Amino acid sequence: MVELLLNAVINGILLGGVLALLAFGLNLIFGVVKIIHLAYGQCVMLGMYLIYTFVDLLGIPLIPACLLTLPLTGALGVALQWLVINPLLRAKANPLTQLLALAGLIIVFENLAQVIWGADLRGVKVPLPLINFGPIFLRASNLIAFFGALLTLLSLYLFLHKTYLGLAIRSTAQNVDSARLMGINPGLIYYTTMAAGGILTGIIAAFFSPIYAVHPHFGGSFTMMAFIIVVLGGMGSMLGGFIGAFIIGIVTSVTAVLTSTEMGEIVALVIFISVILVRPQGLLGIKISR
Amino acid sequence: MFSKLSLIILFAIIALFPHLFPSPYLIHIATLIFIWSFITTAWSYMGRFGLVSLGHGAFLGLGAYTSSLLFNHYGLTPWIGLLLGGLMAVLFAIIIGYACFRFGVIGDYFALLTLALGQVVALTIIAFRDITGGSLGFTLKSKGTSLLYLQSEEKIHFYYLSLGFLILAMLVWKWIDRSKMQKALRAIGEDEIAASTLGIGIIRYKMIITMISAFMTAVGAVLYAQYVTYLNPFTLSGVVASLEIAFKAILGGMFSLWGPTVGTALIIALEEYIRVSYGGKFVGFSQIIYGAALVLLIIFLPKGIYGTLQQFFQRKK
Amino acid sequence: MLEIKSLNVYYGEFQALFEVSLRVLEGETVITVGPNGAGKSTLLKTISGLFRPRSGTITFLGKRIDGLPAHRIVEMGIAQVPEGGWLFPQLTVLENLKVGSYLKGSRREYAPTLKDIYRLFPILDERKKQVADTLSGGERQMLAIARSLMSRPKLILLDEPSSGLAPRVVSRVFEFVKQIKATGYAILMVEQNVRKALHLSDRAYLMESGRVHKEGVRQSFLDDPYIKKAYIGL
Repeated sequence: MVELLLNAVINGILLGGVLALLAFGLNLIFGVVKIIHLAYGQCVMLGMYLIYTFVDLLGIPLIPACLLTLPLTGALGVALQWLVINPLLRAKANPLTQLLALAGLIIVFENLAQVIWGADLRGVKVPLPLINFGPIFLRASNLIAFFGALLTLLSLYLFLHKTYLGLAIRSTAQNVDSARLMGINPGLIYYTTMAAGGILTGIIAAFFSPIYAVHPHFGGSFTMMAFIIVVLGGMGSMLGGFIGAFIIGIVTSVTAVLTSTEMGEIVALVIFISVILVRPQGLLGIKISR
Repeated sequence: MFSKLSLIILFAIIALFPHLFPSPYLIHIATLIFIWSFITTAWSYMGRFGLVSLGHGAFLGLGAYTSSLLFNHYGLTPWIGLLLGGLMAVLFAIIIGYACFRFGVIGDYFALLTLALGQVVALTIIAFRDITGGSLGFTLKSKGTSLLYLQSEEKIHFYYLSLGFLILAMLVWKWIDRSKMQKALRAIGEDEIAASTLGIGIIRYKMIITMISAFMTAVGAVLYAQYVTYLNPFTLSGVVASLEIAFKAILGGMFSLWGPTVGTALIIALEEYIRVSYGGKFVGFSQIIYGAALVLLIIFLPKGIYGTLQQFFQRKK
Repeated sequence: MLEIKSLNVYYGEFQALFEVSLRVLEGETVITVGPNGAGKSTLLKTISGLFRPRSGTITFLGKRIDGLPAHRIVEMGIAQVPEGGWLFPQLTVLENLKVGSYLKGSRREYAPTLKDIYRLFPILDERKKQVADTLSGGERQMLAIARSLMSRPKLILLDEPSSGLAPRVVSRVFEFVKQIKATGYAILMVEQNVRKALHLSDRAYLMESGRVHKEGVRQSFLDDPYIKKAYIGL
């Protein structure tokens, strides 16, 4: 029993790493473009489908396929900014309208996937070994994902804090008009952010591909998970998202092992609802007046 | 927008429709439109006042599953089942509604919260798969054509029944529109803080409208379950079902009486057209178009198709 | 170097500026005074590109800048210190200064410019790792002005630098403005503290209700009885 729990906790932590990436992307986009990207999980899904297409249908080996997918998912982010977000910003849509528009995108992406790739599960068959340390069994794919995620987070942190562009992005998030007065072009920053967010979905897709099979509704539970994390950690707080990811990763993993996968999700959803009710700014977020 | 005369003519056409065009397929589509219009109109009771719920799937699930499980296992007539299902939905609405309104959750946070709720109900239904059949759903026991058990082998019965329900939903809409509640909720929708200083019982009015919406949505779900005699958690609960309700209402225009019906009719007609013309494989296509159209519409026509037309005609006067 | 002719600016249907014309010559310090709501802030924000005029022209160093987006106007050499400073609250003092030299041209000069700024404002060097939100009012204003200098502008727009500050701090802020003026920058300043501002200025404009009511050299303002009574309180 203890071993089972231990395994669940460890795997939860490993999962938490990639969830932290997901939360980071959402927080970045929310902080800079000020939009709740409801269809983020679906973007990851599309990334996974692209990788599958490259590997299974075009015979490209896994790693080049992943690398090839990154600019494509980045371009998707840019396209979203251009076609959906810019019009929303121009029309000065209220947050609810933005939410609904992005929810509409969920329907578009899921059905796009269904039309192009069909409703069945599609997987990249890459056999990776199971490593064990005593009573703990770890999949190599999960380990790679975990360390890869940490590495990515570190790079993103360095980018945001040590480069001029990163500084410009952080400034735009804090006061967009003031950023303008510094010579920063907010439009360019939005595109950059959405491109970065897009590339991030490609990276996450790369880590997920050896672990999960993809289907048109795959994005759904991950988007929900990502939102739960972002709200728990506090919208806009990178550190909060990081911590939240591990909490949710562990809680879902343990609950799923003890009861069922659905219960795991239900527990996460209940946490989400409670946070919204009781402490909407989450653990580390900024207090938002409603 | 519709004068009394045109309403009468419209009603006459709809009433005589099955006799003029006795195509079971068209009657089926019309019935579906009536049932979902009933549900989307009930949704709009909340939506038009700023309480945009993306979790009405929860009420669908509670209503349909309560009634249908009681029927399948205990032979309870769906007429009572519908009341019980509605009651379950209302109880759920009371608990969640009170928590939300008490804690001042509004706008997009409210929408996200309801989204999670719809999903919780769906997951719960799936989790109890021994009773509910999980993601595969279950079928209602057949009782042939029976008014008592709200089933029929003649499509035309449900045509008129659901039409009746739709008219009821519209009458309730009108009743709400004329009541004191409407003014209060409008004020709340526009500026909650100002409204509260005027002494308007914010929580009370929000609760009432939520309860009405919940009850009727659940009833609509029972109607649907009885018509298709099959339940499954993806159609009758969860994220997608909830979003579809909201979208149909918003597309048509959630602030007007006919808006949700117009939106529902357009979407169902579009889906059917594509299914028929291109076969089931391309059902996804219709959804893509409808999702994209929705995104565009939400951005450019916040009052929906019907609402914008209504505004347009009013200006012409 | 800055020439504004017949500027009309609207907020929706409400007109804020009526046929405003104004000039700033190289190296000059020009101040605009007037009561609250006279449109002084609107004027500055229109020059820096945050607002678009409905009609009229703004020319800077011979080029038309009205209608250009704000970030391009900054590129051309105009820096604005808005009222309250508009610092980036969660960035440190150093980071705020660094953003000031975001423009490609200024980046090359970043290190030497930073040194100059620290000499002018030594307290910013002390507090360079401190988050901007935690500074006092006077320090914030100092940082805001310093930040605007990081882009080595040709014209500085100062919007009510003394607003919200204690009198002693206000004196210090004006000391800095004097130092900046001495370095040769052209300054267009909007101020409610007319007496102190006038002493710094070469020329002045009086704005009321969105219109320019008077223009003149410093002395003419100091001698004007209406201004003395209404704004200087003598």
